[in-house]
Amino acid sequence: MNGIFAAIFFASLLLFFSEPDGFLSAMLSGAEKAATLSLSLLAAYCVWLGFFCVLERCGAQRALSRAFYPVARRLFRTEDREAVFLASGNLSANLLGLPGAPTPLGVRATRRFLAAGNRYGADMLFVLNATSLQLLPATAIALRLAAGSASPSDIFLPTLLSTLLSSLLGGLLVFATRKR
Amino acid sequence: MKYISLLIPLLFFAVCLFALVRRVKLYDCFAEGAKQAVPLVLSVFPYLAAILILSELFRQSGLSDRVTALCTPLFTRLGIPPEIAPLVLVKPFSGSGSTALLSELLSSYGADSYIGRCACVAYGSSETVFYISAVYFAGKGKAGARPILISLLCNFLGVVAGCALCRVL
Repeated sequence: MNGIFAAIFFASLLLFFSEPDGFLSAMLSGAEKAATLSLSLLAAYCVWLGFFCVLERCGAQRALSRAFYPVARRLFRTEDREAVFLASGNLSANLLGLPGAPTPLGVRATRRFLAAGNRYGADMLFVLNATSLQLLPATAIALRLAAGSASPSDIFLPTLLSTLLSSLLGGLLVFATRKR
Repeated sequence: MKYISLLIPLLFFAVCLFALVRRVKLYDCFAEGAKQAVPLVLSVFPYLAAILILSELFRQSGLSDRVTALCTPLFTRLGIPPEIAPLVLVKPFSGSGSTALLSELLSSYGADSYIGRCACVAYGSSETVFYISAVYFAGKGKAGARPILISLLCNFLGVVAGCALCRVL
């Protein structure tokens, strides 16, 4: 990631030499976006982490991890039931398209994987999130409605199929390039 | 659509009812969970800032336009309409930026045109990879380039497949 960051950073920086005034204002506006986004993330995390705590406390954690354990154990190569609960909750929230819900679970699952030295599980979870299967492309459908589309949900099937393809391929690539 | 938006209230209803049956102290428990939000945001913020600054530099320096111009011939060959190339390139960096681009495309080409539909599928089938990596791997040792590159490649192939599917479906 450091390499990617440095490459894009220097390439952009070089282009700014012809127009040096814009540089600092671009950096500041990026940082400002991070500050406002963090506030709305804080709000979303509050709601979902509160909800997940209730979910955990009433025993749904055990039920969920028992249901997903056989699959998740192989998928993420872990024996850790807590991490299985977090990761499977993360993937389910992703599938349902609950805005803001997958992230706190995903972050906690990734931390558990990495703390146990399970790089493979963390990478797998990340790739599955970053190629996320879309059951309901809600934002795109809302924008199509706003633009006066005759059949806004037209794009449902192609989106589902192409995300299915990218998720499968992503999982396979993580599996194929794993360190033995 | 209406039934789907019922899902979230139903989920909360079911879980909270079940919690009451199990005699969970709802108020205390919710507050306890929400407490974790602050350290989570604090640990993620620096990485988020770095990524968003980078995405702003990428866009405002004109680098994104140059990369778009470079990639357009390749995109056309793969069946991605050149009009949606900026969308495909901005999406990994910025969710809000790509949403703005999508609504622009929809209003200038029409939501039901081939380009409009392709743009929607491209939007839906790619993710904000750099943003997710900033949040998930925040401060946890080396965030290897491998999962990021795999995700970028798969998202791109997803877009190619989506554009092809838009032709036939």
